[in-house]
Amino acid sequence: MSTGSIRNFCIIAHIDHGKSTLADRLLEKTHTITSREFRNQMLDDMDLERERGITIKASAVALKLVREGKEYNLNLIDTPGHVDFSYEVSRSLGACEGALLLVDASQGVEAQTVANAYLAMELNLAIIPVISKIDLPNSRPDDVLNEMEKTLGIAPEEALMVSAKTGKGIDEIFDAVIKRIPPPKGNPNAPLRSLIFDSIYDEYRGVVVYLRVFDGSVKVGDEIYMMKTNSSFKVEEVGIFKPKMVVKASLSAGEVGYCIANIKSLHDVKVGDTVTHNRDRTAEALPGYRPPMAMVYCGIYPTNNADFHLLREALERLSLNDSSFTFEPETSQALGFGFRCGFLGLLHMEIVQERLERESNINIVQTAPNVTYEILKINKEIIKVDNPEKVPPVGEIEEFREPMVRASFILPTEYLGAIMQLAEGRRGRYKSTEYLSEKRAILIYELPLAEIIFDFFDKMKSATRGYGTLDYDFIGYETADLVKLDIFVASKRVDALSTIVHRKDADIKGRKLVKKLKNEISRHLFEVVLQAAIGSRIIARESIRPIAKNVTAKCYGGDITRKRKLLEKQKEGKKRMKSIGNVEIPQKAFLSVLSVDE
Amino acid sequence: MLHNSLYIHIPFCVRKCRYCDFNSIVSESKKIGRYLHAIEKELSVLNGRYVFNTVYIGGGTPSILTEVQLEKLLHSVIRYIPSSEIQEYTVEANPGTLTVNKIGLLKEYMVNRISLGVQSFQDSQLKYLGRIHSSNDAGNAFVSLRKAGFKNINVDLIFGSPEQSLDDWEKDLKTVVELGPDHISTYALTYEEGTSLTRDLEDASIHKLDEYVELEMYKTSIRYLTSNGYNHYEISNFAKYGYECAHNHAYWKNIGYVGIGAGAYSFIDGVRTSNEKDVFKYIDGINENKNVISFREKLELNQFASETVVMALRLRQGISNTDFYERFGYTIEDQFGEQMNRLAKYGLVSYENERLKLTEKGLFVADTVMTEFI
Repeated sequence: MSTGSIRNFCIIAHIDHGKSTLADRLLEKTHTITSREFRNQMLDDMDLERERGITIKASAVALKLVREGKEYNLNLIDTPGHVDFSYEVSRSLGACEGALLLVDASQGVEAQTVANAYLAMELNLAIIPVISKIDLPNSRPDDVLNEMEKTLGIAPEEALMVSAKTGKGIDEIFDAVIKRIPPPKGNPNAPLRSLIFDSIYDEYRGVVVYLRVFDGSVKVGDEIYMMKTNSSFKVEEVGIFKPKMVVKASLSAGEVGYCIANIKSLHDVKVGDTVTHNRDRTAEALPGYRPPMAMVYCGIYPTNNADFHLLREALERLSLNDSSFTFEPETSQALGFGFRCGFLGLLHMEIVQERLERESNINIVQTAPNVTYEILKINKEIIKVDNPEKVPPVGEIEEFREPMVRASFILPTEYLGAIMQLAEGRRGRYKSTEYLSEKRAILIYELPLAEIIFDFFDKMKSATRGYGTLDYDFIGYETADLVKLDIFVASKRVDALSTIVHRKDADIKGRKLVKKLKNEISRHLFEVVLQAAIGSRIIARESIRPIAKNVTAKCYGGDITRKRKLLEKQKEGKKRMKSIGNVEIPQKAFLSVLSVDE
Repeated sequence: MLHNSLYIHIPFCVRKCRYCDFNSIVSESKKIGRYLHAIEKELSVLNGRYVFNTVYIGGGTPSILTEVQLEKLLHSVIRYIPSSEIQEYTVEANPGTLTVNKIGLLKEYMVNRISLGVQSFQDSQLKYLGRIHSSNDAGNAFVSLRKAGFKNINVDLIFGSPEQSLDDWEKDLKTVVELGPDHISTYALTYEEGTSLTRDLEDASIHKLDEYVELEMYKTSIRYLTSNGYNHYEISNFAKYGYECAHNHAYWKNIGYVGIGAGAYSFIDGVRTSNEKDVFKYIDGINENKNVISFREKLELNQFASETVVMALRLRQGISNTDFYERFGYTIEDQFGEQMNRLAKYGLVSYENERLKLTEKGLFVADTVMTEFI
């Protein structure tokens, strides 16, 4: 097949700007799926994605389009829109020649629009600006065009006006894809050179590798070689996504599809790696990607210690499908044996946790998330600390360093004050404000990552009545005056409740934390004392007074079933608690360190 | 298993008390007539199937029935239940609706125990609780019952309402001891879901009595009544020697009982059922010869055993391992050994002479202790 009829493109957008709906329309219009098969938002194939309205994994689908008597093969590669998944966006972009830059006609340019558009520009992709949801009564396409020009230098006349809901403008998109996005270059006769831009694990078939072929071709029976991992496999099947997998004889230069090659684990495949033929290798590997970096860590423990192995199996199953999720065994004095898990961001963490609970029947305790700190020790050794427990004694620390991010907020100007106040309260450093229009601005702050992984996103949303958006980039480590805040429950230090905080916030946080814990931990038959300490200095104390009287006065015939059910419910609740010493601590308490502000 | 206890529910009241979540409605006389007819029909089905040693007519307010209605009810019981076997026959009565003639009828139809819903001897308390009678009514009703020859009378009292002081409660205890009933139930006020009392609590127009004051009231009840010759035999119940309520032991020992009337529970061979709760649906169902059972559960052996331990722990004598073994085929320790050791270590239960029971310390936090046996 000549590459002249192929177009590889993706859709980049801020979350909720209508990407999935547009993708559905493109699939429908090209009859890639019959209406019987049609489910709204076809590309999001995990339940969780559909529920949350977001796309987590990149997916790909081949569309057939006839224009002026000529048949075109369009490959649409889906991208996630959330801040945690910019890594996944960049790898989708690497497989394309062009991108539809989708902007909601009423919401306008948002933080992830800008971040993703810049990524696409860096990769020299042809960009087709698309203003979506123009059918909505509060749409303001002209303002949005201005914003795009101001932030991204996109000329207003380049933009297409679309309503994926009514179908208006969809044909124009197809025309633009064919005319403005160049067909892939590449030599079908050269040695195979293809990019792994994603992979999934299928229970029955093993790893399914998502491939973009740049040069040469690959077919069943070929022995392929992965250049980075230095391993070879025999190809069992190749094909394309329509959007279900459809077998093809081969994939050649310019095409996008999948390859199954008896690969047992996702860990055997490196996304971004170059795949070539084992015998006839290409001389030069593709640039590939920077590996995803876990930014947020937390401990995950089984409530019942006997479930440790079940938890390990469950985490292994999860990581088969999500190579950016990491886990390592760790031990907590309070919680026993568990795992330290790494995530791309807080949303990613929530998704993994939810999936864990949904897909396995294990009660888990999750500790408060933290970032990775860097500590320069007196002996000049630099260590990375992803768990407050690993902070060395104060005497051994020369410098405590924390990760910083550059955060850009795009928001209506009336909320600038609120967001500045929020950012200052989180040790933010103001950098700049740039006006997109009279009404909207980009605000830039440098913030410690630790300050934004908890509830910052929600706070930002409520401070801007939902109109503000946020994107951030890691910019490096910086020295800070940090201390470890310890919590004692009934005179026992609970390692899982330790956090790293800034010294100036320590007293207030300590006081708020024990107050909060006081509300989370229910009363016991004895007094429970809660203390916060820095080193050996106690900075706050609360006590939970014991239960004095807890006895049902009446229990006759009709009360017995009800009473038993009540006790059963209480017992069930107890099961989800972690017993430390004699104190039952609910899962919620371990997360209370997150939101001591309230 | 013995099915020796019969409960008959009369779900009618003059008005609903503020704290009450029992199955009761305010209703006029005509509907009561139809209800009693349904009761009779349900009783007739039992005819000869069981022998009952105890009969308990509760409510609601059984004494709300007119003399004619009361006689009809008592007559139905005598007609279908072999009276020679009945050892304890209780009827609940409200001092506000009990008349000399009704007392006469009760006596005539061989009722031998009256449970009098006094709740308090202080009019301000009675008003607060939404009771229809006065303190004087209670005293008068009691005297009339004694005059008529009732030798086994229970008085129900409530403590721990928001406006009650420890002093108020001590006065009530003193009054009741002076009156000298044979049995006394002292119930801590409970905030049940859906009652007007609980609504008031939720919108903060009232506040719960401090837990420590309530505990002190409870401790005072035990101390005072015990020292005046009442044996504290169940969490909320006190009796003179030989006057423990036989009927209620069927519940606390988790042995069989049969319930008649709207919303009444039966427990037969490990199967618990309850009748349709709605009075009118119940009447219609019975009239149309329909099955009026609206809830049914069959307990697994372990569940049955666990429930039995929980209920028996309400009794101060606790539960005997021998009895338990006879019923379930294994020992209490087989199922609960770990909990027993732990709770004994905290001083909440004792296990001596093959009897598991709550200690005094355990008594005050009985619910927390019981959770361990579920």
